[in-house]
Amino acid sequence: MAGMKTATGDYIDSSWELRVFIGEEDPEAESLTLRVTGESHIGGVLLKIVEEIKRKQDWSDHAIWWEQKRQWLLQTHWTLDKYGILADARLFFGPQHRPVILRLPNRRALRLRASFSQPLFQAMVAICRLLSELRQPRDAAGGRLGEAWVGEGYRAWLTPTRTPGVAPASFRGMPAHFSDSAQTEACYHMLSRPQPPPDPLLLQRLPRPSSLLDKTQLHSRWLDSSRCLMQQGIKAGDTLWLRFKYYSFFDLDPKTDPVRLTQLYEQARWDLLLEEIDCTEEEMMVFAALQYHINKLSQSGEVDEPAGTDSGLDDLDLALSNLEVKLEGSAPTDMLDSLTTIPELKDHLRIFRPRKLTLKGYRQHWVVFKETTLSYYKSQDEAPGEPIQQLNLKGCEVVPDVNVSGQKFCIKLLVPSPEGMSEIYLRCQDEQQYARWMAGCRLASKGRTMADSSYSSEVQAILAFLSLQRTGGGGGGSGNHPQGPDASAEGLNPYGLVAPRFQRKFKAKQLTPRILEAHQNVAQLSLSEAQLRFIQAWQSLPDFGISYVVVRFKGSRKDEILGIANNRLIRIDLSVGDVVKTWRFSNMRQWNVNWDIRQVAIEFDEHINVAFSCVSASCRIVHEYIGGYIFLSTRERARGEELDEDLFLQLTGGHEAF
Amino acid sequence: MGESNEDIDQMFSNLLGEMDLLTQSLGVDILPPPDPKPPRAEFNYSVGFKDLNESLNALEDQDLDALMADLVADISEAEQRTIQAQKESPQKQPPSASLCVPSFSDTASLGYGANVAAPSQYDDDLPPPPADPMLDLPLPPPPPGPISQEEEEAQAKADKIKLALEKLKEAKVKKLVVKILMNDNSSKSLMVDERQLARDVLDNLFEKTHCDCNVDWCLYEIYPELQIERFFEDHENVVEILSDWTRDTENKLLFLEKEEKYAVFKNPQNFYLDNKGKKENKETNEKMNAKNKESLLEESFCGTSVIVPELEGALYLKEDGKKSWKRRYFLLRASGIYYVPKGKTKTSRDLACFIQFENVNIYYGIQCKMKYKAPTDYCFVLKHPQIQKESQYIKYLCCDDARALSQWVTGIRIAKYGKTLYDNYQRAMARAGLASRWTNLGTVNAVPPAPPSTGVKTGTTQANGQLPQATQSMNTALGEDWRQLETTKDKKPGPGLGSHDPGAPRAQPLPKSSLPPPPPPVRRSSDVGGGSPGTPPKAKGAAARFPAPPDDFLPPPPPPPPPLQDDELPPPPPDFNEAPPDFVPPPPPSFAEDLPPPPPPPPALAPESVRTPPVVVKRPPPPPKRQENPGPPGGGGGEQDFMSDLMKALQKKRGNVS
Repeated sequence: MAGMKTATGDYIDSSWELRVFIGEEDPEAESLTLRVTGESHIGGVLLKIVEEIKRKQDWSDHAIWWEQKRQWLLQTHWTLDKYGILADARLFFGPQHRPVILRLPNRRALRLRASFSQPLFQAMVAICRLLSELRQPRDAAGGRLGEAWVGEGYRAWLTPTRTPGVAPASFRGMPAHFSDSAQTEACYHMLSRPQPPPDPLLLQRLPRPSSLLDKTQLHSRWLDSSRCLMQQGIKAGDTLWLRFKYYSFFDLDPKTDPVRLTQLYEQARWDLLLEEIDCTEEEMMVFAALQYHINKLSQSGEVDEPAGTDSGLDDLDLALSNLEVKLEGSAPTDMLDSLTTIPELKDHLRIFRPRKLTLKGYRQHWVVFKETTLSYYKSQDEAPGEPIQQLNLKGCEVVPDVNVSGQKFCIKLLVPSPEGMSEIYLRCQDEQQYARWMAGCRLASKGRTMADSSYSSEVQAILAFLSLQRTGGGGGGSGNHPQGPDASAEGLNPYGLVAPRFQRKFKAKQLTPRILEAHQNVAQLSLSEAQLRFIQAWQSLPDFGISYVVVRFKGSRKDEILGIANNRLIRIDLSVGDVVKTWRFSNMRQWNVNWDIRQVAIEFDEHINVAFSCVSASCRIVHEYIGGYIFLSTRERARGEELDEDLFLQLTGGHEAF
Repeated sequence: MGESNEDIDQMFSNLLGEMDLLTQSLGVDILPPPDPKPPRAEFNYSVGFKDLNESLNALEDQDLDALMADLVADISEAEQRTIQAQKESPQKQPPSASLCVPSFSDTASLGYGANVAAPSQYDDDLPPPPADPMLDLPLPPPPPGPISQEEEEAQAKADKIKLALEKLKEAKVKKLVVKILMNDNSSKSLMVDERQLARDVLDNLFEKTHCDCNVDWCLYEIYPELQIERFFEDHENVVEILSDWTRDTENKLLFLEKEEKYAVFKNPQNFYLDNKGKKENKETNEKMNAKNKESLLEESFCGTSVIVPELEGALYLKEDGKKSWKRRYFLLRASGIYYVPKGKTKTSRDLACFIQFENVNIYYGIQCKMKYKAPTDYCFVLKHPQIQKESQYIKYLCCDDARALSQWVTGIRIAKYGKTLYDNYQRAMARAGLASRWTNLGTVNAVPPAPPSTGVKTGTTQANGQLPQATQSMNTALGEDWRQLETTKDKKPGPGLGSHDPGAPRAQPLPKSSLPPPPPPVRRSSDVGGGSPGTPPKAKGAAARFPAPPDDFLPPPPPPPPPLQDDELPPPPPDFNEAPPDFVPPPPPSFAEDLPPPPPPPPALAPESVRTPPVVVKRPPPPPKRQENPGPPGGGGGEQDFMSDLMKALQKKRGNVS
C-alpha cells in the first residue's frame, strides 16, 4: 500500500498526499489527507477515507466528485493515474443522492432525493418510476426554470419518499410504495388528483409570455439528459421543474397511469392559464368548463365513478338495464324511458317571441313541457285543447340568459324548423324553476327526456352554478376584481378557470353563464374522461406541442424562430409570427451538429439542406428535441417495450466533444 | 294443405287491403315522410301498424308489470341456468306455444321439415322460444305447471323478460320506405328501419345492385330547392336524417359514387401537407408513397386526438339575406371556423368564431353563381339539418377553386366527425375488399350462366314503370312474408313437438339440406360478418346460387316465378327467423329479405366477368343493369320486414278473435 516509510520517516515509495473533502461541495468542509500512489484504485481510496473518518455510517451511497473536471469518480477499479488525478485535485467525498425540490406540472413541490451522479436520463427514469410511473420517463425531462419564476402560490413540502428503484406494485389502487404511511398516501393523492383552480390574483401575477420571443425563453433551459445533475451545476436543495418535454403522448391510459394523466392535465391547464399556448374564446370556455367539472369531481371524491349515472336509476331500473345488457350486449336507454312514466313540467311562464315589427314583451302563458316538446296555452283552462304553439326542442340551441343579482332567469331557445330557426325566450320566476326548466331544455335538445337519469344531476349542476354566480363577482360593483381564494368551497371563481386576458375582457357574471353553457356538454364525463378530453382539446389547438427556439438560418441575416413539434420543424417569421416553411421529420435523412460553431445542419429528401445556428438556446437543446422525437417515433411501433436507453442517448447525445 | 292455402289467401287479401290503405296514405317520394312538428306523431305513417301493435301491446303491458316484479329475482342466476334448463326442458315451452298455434296449426302442417331444424339452433343460441305466443299469454306468472323447478322458473322469467323487451323494441322500431335514385335515373324502394346506419343501407344496396362495392359509393341527399347536396357519412342514421325532411319535400336520395367521400384517406397529403398550393409541394405530393401515406394517416387519426388539417384562407361569405358576398379570411380549427375581424391579426386570441360544427351539417352548394351571384361555383353550405327552406341561418361560403373547396369540406368533416370518419373508411374498405374477393370467386363460378342476361333487360323495362311494379314486388314480398310468418309460427311449435318427440329437432336437419336452396344461411354468414375472412362461405354462396338462377329465369316474366319459388323454397324463412332472437337488428333481416331472389347475381356477374376478366373495380357500366334486375324482387324484399310485422299483427288479431 501507499505510504511506506523508512525509519526516518521518509517515504520510500512514490506516494503522495491526496486531500479529500468530506461532504458536499463546501469550501469549509472537513478534509482528510490520505497518502496514495498513482496506482491506487479508487475503491481503495474510498476504503481508506471511510477508515479515516471513523464514523459509523452507511457510506454506500458516497462517491468522489472531482471538482475541477466536474466528474464523478465512479469506476472503482480505475487507478488515480488512469483518471489523471494529481495532488492538486479538489476531491469531494459526498453522497450521490441528494435532496432536490421538484416542482411538478401541477405546480406543487416535492422534495426527494435524486441521483446526482447518473446521467439525467436515468435519474429521470428513476424519479418517474417513483412518482408512480409517469410511465414514460422520456416524456418528462427536468428543466431548470428556477429563479425566473417568482411568487408561486403553493408550498407543499412533503417528506422524502423512498430512494428510486422500487418496482411498481399496486396496493389499494395505488402503487404499493405509496401506502407506507399517511404522509405518502397524501403525497400520492397530490400526484394523482387534479389541483383546485388557482387564485386568480396569483394567476395575474405570474409571468406570462407576451410574444413568441418570450416563448422561446421557456424552452431554453432544459437540462441535458446525458449528463448528471452535478455536472450541470445543480446543488442539493435546488428547485427543479418537472415538465413533459416531448409532446408526443403515447398510449394514454387513465387506468394504469392516473398520475401521468393528472400531471399531463395539469401541465395542459397551466399552459393555457399562463397563455403559453393561445386559444380562442370559445375554446377557453370549453377548457374552463372542463376544469370546473374536473375540480368538482375531484373534490367530491368521485375518482373513477362516472358522474351521476346511477343517481336516477332505482334498483329495478338498474336490474332491468343490467339484464338487458346481459341479454343483448347493449342498453338502449329509450327502452327504460317507456317503462317509467315520463315526467313533465307544467307552469306559468312568461314567454317572449321576438318578431319583426312587434314590440310585445313577455306574456304570461301556461306552458307544458313533456318529453322533448314544449307547448304553451293562453291559460291553464285551455290546456287540454290546442296549444298556441308546440315546439320540439330536439336539436335546438339552449342559451342561458341569466342575471342573478337582477333576478332575471331567462332561457333562450333557438329551435330549428324547416323554415329556419325560431327564437323564443322563457322567463322563469326563480332559480328553482329556472333550474328545472333549463335542465329539461338541455336534455330535450339532445333528444332526451326528463326521465333521463341525468336530469336531477343537471338540475343540481345548474343550481350550483347559479349560486356560484352569486358569490363569484355577480354581486354588483365588484366587477372586475376577482375575489380571493376564500370563494373556494362551492362558489368557484370563474376567473380561476380562464387565462388572465379573459379576466380582463369579461366580467365574472358574463363569464359564468358561458362556462355553464359549455359545461352542459361535458357534465356527464367521469374524472379521467374529462381529463382526457381536456388533453385532447389541448392537443387539437393548432399551436399545440411546438417548442420555440430563436435561430439564425444559414445565409439569412436576421433571427428567426424555429418551432419544433413532434412531427415537423417549422420556420417562423420572428416579427409577424407567420409560418414560412415546414419540414417534416418523415422526410428527414439526417441531421448533424457542429458543436464548434454551434450549428445544426439537416438534410431532407430531395437534397433539401437546412442549416441554422441557435441563438436563444444551446444547440444541444435543439439536437435533443429532434433526436427525442425521432426516438419517440421509433417507439410507436414497439409498443410497451422497455425503454431503449442506448438508442435514446445515441439520438440525443453525441456532443461529448465540448 | 288446401285448407291452409285458403287460409293464406284470405289473409293475403286482408293484407293487401291494409297495404293499399297504407300506400295511399303515404307520399310518393318517401312514402312516410313524417311531419316533424308533432314529434311523436312521427310514427303515424305506420298508422295501420301502430294500432294493431297497440292492441298487442296491451297484453305486453300486463306482461311487463309481471316482468318488473319478477325481475327482482336474481337475474344472473337465472341466466346461468337458462342454458341448462333449455337443454333439459323443452317441455316447459309447449303450453305457451300451443296456445298460439290454433290458427296456424294447419300451416305448420305444411310440413317444412326443414324448419324444425331451426329450433336446434335456438337451443344453442338463445333460450327464447315462441316470441309471440308468450305475449299472447295474458297471465303474467309463468305457467310452470307440473315440472316446476327452480331453474325452470328462473328460465321462464329470463325468457319472458327477453321476449318482452324484444317485443317492445320491435314495436317501437320506426321504418321508412325510401325511394333511392340510381345513377341511371331508375329508382329503388327500400325499407329502412330506424336502427340502420347509412353503412347498413349501403350494404343493402350493394346486395341489391351487385355493384362493385367500392368505398366511393354513398347515399347522397339533394335539396333541389336550396340547391345543396351532400353525402351521408356512413355512421349517420338514415331515418333520423330523413325525418327532418318535410312532408312535401322535393329532396332526393341518391345512390352514387363520390370520390370526395374518402379522398382524404386515399391521398392524405393533399389535405395535410398542402402548403397553400406552392408548386414545389404539389410535386412532392404526388410522389408520396403508400407507406408514407399510411404513417401520415396514423399520425393524424390514430393519436390521442385527431389532427385537423391546418387550413386557412380567404373565402367569400354570403351576407345574410342578400346576394352580396364579402371576402374574409377564415381559419379552420378543431373547435370551429373562425375569421379574422377587421384590423386584427390572425393570432388565436383575436379570432372571432364564425360557426361551430355541433349543430350543422356541411353541404355542397350547387350553381350558387347563378342562384346567389356567388363569385365562383365552388361553394359550401353550413346549415342545421332540420332547416329545409331558405333562411338566414344557412351559411354560404365560396372558395376560389375546386381544390380549396375540397380541402375545406374535408377539413370540416374531419373537425366535425373526428376519428369516426377513419373508422367508417376502414369499414368501407373491409366491405369493398370482401366484395372484390367475392366477385372473384363468383365470376369463376358464374361464367356459364351468362346467357340469361337477356332476362335482365326485361327486368329493366319493368323497373322503370314504378307503381305497378311496386305492387308486384309487394305481392312477392307478401308471399315471402307469409311464408316467413308461417315458419315463424311453425318453428314455435317446433320445440313443442320436440317435447313430444325429443329426438326430432336434431334429426331434422337432413331434410333441410336436401331441399334445394341452401343459399340463405351461407349468405347470411358472409354478410353479417361484414369482414368475415373466410372465403369458403363465399365460394359456397356462389355455388349455391347456381342452381337457383335457372329456376328463376326460365319463366322470364318476373311476377309469376317468385310465388312458385316460394312454395318450393321454404328454407329462407328459418334463416330469417333467426334474426329476431339474435337481435343484431339491422343487417340480418335485410339480407334475409334478399334471400328469396337469389337468382339475379350470376347473370349479372357474368357480363362483368366476360367484359373485364381482371375483375373488380369496373364501375360505370355494370351497375345500372344490375340494379334493374334484382329490382323487382329486391324492392319487394325491402318491404318484407315491414310486411312481416303487418302479418304478425294480423295474425295476432285473428288469433285473438278466433
